[in-house]
Amino acid sequence: MKGIYLGELEELVLLHVGILYPEAYGVAVMDEIERQAGRSLNISAIHSVLTRLEEKGLLKSKMGDPSPERGGRRKRIFLLTAAGKRALEEANELRSQLFNMIPKIALQFRIA
Amino acid sequence: MKQITPPKWADRFLMWYCRPDLLEEIQGDAYELYYRKAEESRRLANLQFIWNVLRFFRWKNINKTKTNHYQSQLSIAMFKNILVVTVRNFLRQPGHSFLNVFGLSAGFTCAILIILWVAHEYSFDRFHAEPDRIFKILTHVEANGDVQTYDVASCVIDLSSVPEAGTLVSVSPGDRWPHELCFRPEGKTNECIYMNGVYANENLFSIFNFPILEGDQNPLKGGANIAISEKMALALYGNANPVGKTIKIDDTREVTIVSIFKNISSNSTLQFDFALPYAILKKQWGINDEGFAQNFFNMYVKTNTSISAEQLTKKLNDVRVVTEEYKAQKLSYQAYPVTDWHLKSKFEGGKNTGGRIEYIILFIIIGGLVVIMAVINFVNMSTARATLRAKEIGIRKVTGAVRGTIIAQFMAESFLLVFFAFALSVVAAQLMLPIFNTLLTEPISLNMVSGLMPLYLVGFLLTVALLAGIYPSLILSSFQPIRILKNQFNSNTSGSQRFRKSLLIVQLSVSIGIIIFSGVLYYQLNFVTNKNIGFDRSNMVRIEPTFPLLKKFASFKNELSKDASILGVAASNVNPLNTGGGNTGVSWPGKPKDLRISFKTIGCSPEFPETLGLKILEGRNFQSQPLDSLRTEVLVSEDAVKAMGLTNPIGEEIKIGESTFVIIGVINDFHTESLHEVRQPVILYHTDYEHVSALYVRYQSGSTQQAMATISKVYKSFEPSFTMKYWFQDETFDDLYKTEIIASRLILLFTIITLIIAGLGIIGLATFNAFRKTKEISVRRVFGASVAQALLMLFNEFTLVLIVSTLIAIPLAWYAADHWLQSFAYRTPMPWWIYFITCAGVVTIIALIVWIQGMKTISASPSKTLRSE
Repeated sequence: MKGIYLGELEELVLLHVGILYPEAYGVAVMDEIERQAGRSLNISAIHSVLTRLEEKGLLKSKMGDPSPERGGRRKRIFLLTAAGKRALEEANELRSQLFNMIPKIALQFRIA
Repeated sequence: MKQITPPKWADRFLMWYCRPDLLEEIQGDAYELYYRKAEESRRLANLQFIWNVLRFFRWKNINKTKTNHYQSQLSIAMFKNILVVTVRNFLRQPGHSFLNVFGLSAGFTCAILIILWVAHEYSFDRFHAEPDRIFKILTHVEANGDVQTYDVASCVIDLSSVPEAGTLVSVSPGDRWPHELCFRPEGKTNECIYMNGVYANENLFSIFNFPILEGDQNPLKGGANIAISEKMALALYGNANPVGKTIKIDDTREVTIVSIFKNISSNSTLQFDFALPYAILKKQWGINDEGFAQNFFNMYVKTNTSISAEQLTKKLNDVRVVTEEYKAQKLSYQAYPVTDWHLKSKFEGGKNTGGRIEYIILFIIIGGLVVIMAVINFVNMSTARATLRAKEIGIRKVTGAVRGTIIAQFMAESFLLVFFAFALSVVAAQLMLPIFNTLLTEPISLNMVSGLMPLYLVGFLLTVALLAGIYPSLILSSFQPIRILKNQFNSNTSGSQRFRKSLLIVQLSVSIGIIIFSGVLYYQLNFVTNKNIGFDRSNMVRIEPTFPLLKKFASFKNELSKDASILGVAASNVNPLNTGGGNTGVSWPGKPKDLRISFKTIGCSPEFPETLGLKILEGRNFQSQPLDSLRTEVLVSEDAVKAMGLTNPIGEEIKIGESTFVIIGVINDFHTESLHEVRQPVILYHTDYEHVSALYVRYQSGSTQQAMATISKVYKSFEPSFTMKYWFQDETFDDLYKTEIIASRLILLFTIITLIIAGLGIIGLATFNAFRKTKEISVRRVFGASVAQALLMLFNEFTLVLIVSTLIAIPLAWYAADHWLQSFAYRTPMPWWIYFITCAGVVTIIALIVWIQGMKTISASPSKTLRSE
């Protein structure tokens, strides 16, 4: 990935943007992370990650429709770019590749 | 959900620091979380919101670009563009723009002229030092159960008991001999220059600010001195210095010119070209000090300390000031501020009831209304016109103009037009001043603009420009570009349509009101001129006689009578048109003790009743040799007979003062004052020619020139060294209504201007309506509506406006007109037909305008107008 380093939180957010397609925006991502991963994050942290990912070209964004629960303001909807998708695939591949390399015994031991 | 909101300060803090492009999502997220949390607890939600706002406060989110691009748009280039667009718009529809600016400058011109006049009127007598401490002493006298007020007081009034009273000025002005004197320029004994002056005590020049330019600063101290004005010095001596020269009064009494004073400014109540000490007056009248003390003159007192007029009045009515003799005559004094006298000099029943001030207020109101109308017009036309400029606004907005820019543009246009109109109106006012001055008695000039006046003017202009600009700019800037460009914005104009209509109502009410009022005013003045006042005042000239001429009255009359155009010559001691004060000292047999009735007593020659055109109803006329050689013969008017309650007046003996008179005849009633006053009973008594003040010559109507030529020729043959002074009686009569006539002329002027402005407004609106309804008319025409129906539809736009403004205007006009008519003792009944004609006229004018403007639209082929889309 030509030196683009994907941090742990970044990967998590990137994944959730994918999960929430096509309704991924700040608060939704925050809620989903809490639900799926049980991690409670501040909204400002989510925002900075999302913008960082957008700057890296892994996400793109557009303004959505205004909604009443936001006082009539619009959401910024985030979508995966092709590069983002590839980054996720690569991370996933790397992870399963590495996972498969773990000796079986180690896993069994763990289960026991 | 709406009623709860996150803490304002935190929200504002967020909006302040946040980058504009990120604000919406950040604020949106923060709000979403807030509302969700608020369902559990509002307090927690608030805390969370604050926390989130603080957490968002990161370098990345902070607004780093401090330059606000909304402000940067108002650059020089922008202003230049605004100017260019204004000029282009102005030139695109020159007729319309002209109407717009013309209406506004007409209003401003009116306002400027009125302001100048009002400022002039208010400046009267204020140029003296400490004007608030100078009081005029007025005298109230009770008679006929009424109180008469005079602006004179006893010339020997003793103010030693009033510690506040400082200096007393006693002035005796007048417009006849001995105040008007004939002076002869050096070496020209046959030339006669009449000058009007005053007799006064030595304080005249020290209390009042009449600066002495040359010579003795206290000219009235000595015995035989005279102070003359620059004007008089110039007329008599040219450019030579006259100080120290002697001059003759009445060709007999020599006085020394000791001082020259500056010409009295036109805003002084006291006007004179020379001032003489009282010593001369005593000699002129041939009376001693005792006789002199009986006289009442204009008395002014300057106080040492500031004291209110009420307090001073109280002290003036002390026994030590008003003598027992005067008390018995039911006489009382009042201290009146000298600065009030010019404007508030009308007294009824001893109380001030206004005076010129009524007209001043009337004109301030009219001026205000005219300006309001002009501004309304301007606003109306600007809005109407601006809706046609909607596309421009749409394009401007699309290419990046924000509301502020549009507002700025329209404000700037309004300011430019208002100042342009003002510049025009200053020029117009300057050009109109000479004409305006012919309507007034004293000339005014733009020089009156001094002191704070320019400041007020600028403030006034700014207000007008703001008023005129604010509505168009606010309405027009609120248009949404998409709707304008899609031609959907017409629904938006219904509000401004209503606004325009209500403004038109104001305009029409004002116009209708002013027209009705001036109609009533003219009707009453016409009534006054045509009313039979009891004798014939036309074709009669009044001549100021010299004493030698009076002695030769018989031969003077003979000479005149040789000309067939001269019908009669008579003499009397007062002008029957305006006799002045009455005489309360008349008594007759059976007069109740406490009755006080004022009679007008006129001393006259035997020819007087006939020459004047009075009818002898009973008894006989005077004869040149009185039949009753013991008692003076008198003729009394019917009013007098009634007032005295005599059943058989002929031969009754009455007394005026201590002298005995006998009634020899009864004449018809006639008015001896302006028609503001109730007609008074009259007594004509026979007097010698030597004791009259004026000669009256009646001539054949239509032969004025011939008669005047004869009169001057005969006069010259009797008095070669005097210039004849004469007045036409009908002009003197008109002088009685000088204020009313001036007011009526001014009102006529303003009525015309009001009409023009209202006409412009209606034209503007009718044009706009016709334009706006082009399509509707075309569609109706296609479906078979007749021209008349289409016109009626256009006219209907004005129906409600007309009804409402009539309903507003008529009661107001009635109230004002009725109030004004009340000031006349003799008045016409309210001429209702004027109301009717005015309303009918306004309807006709509107119908005409609608017709002219509407026909253009209606006669256009429907296919053309409908094809345009």
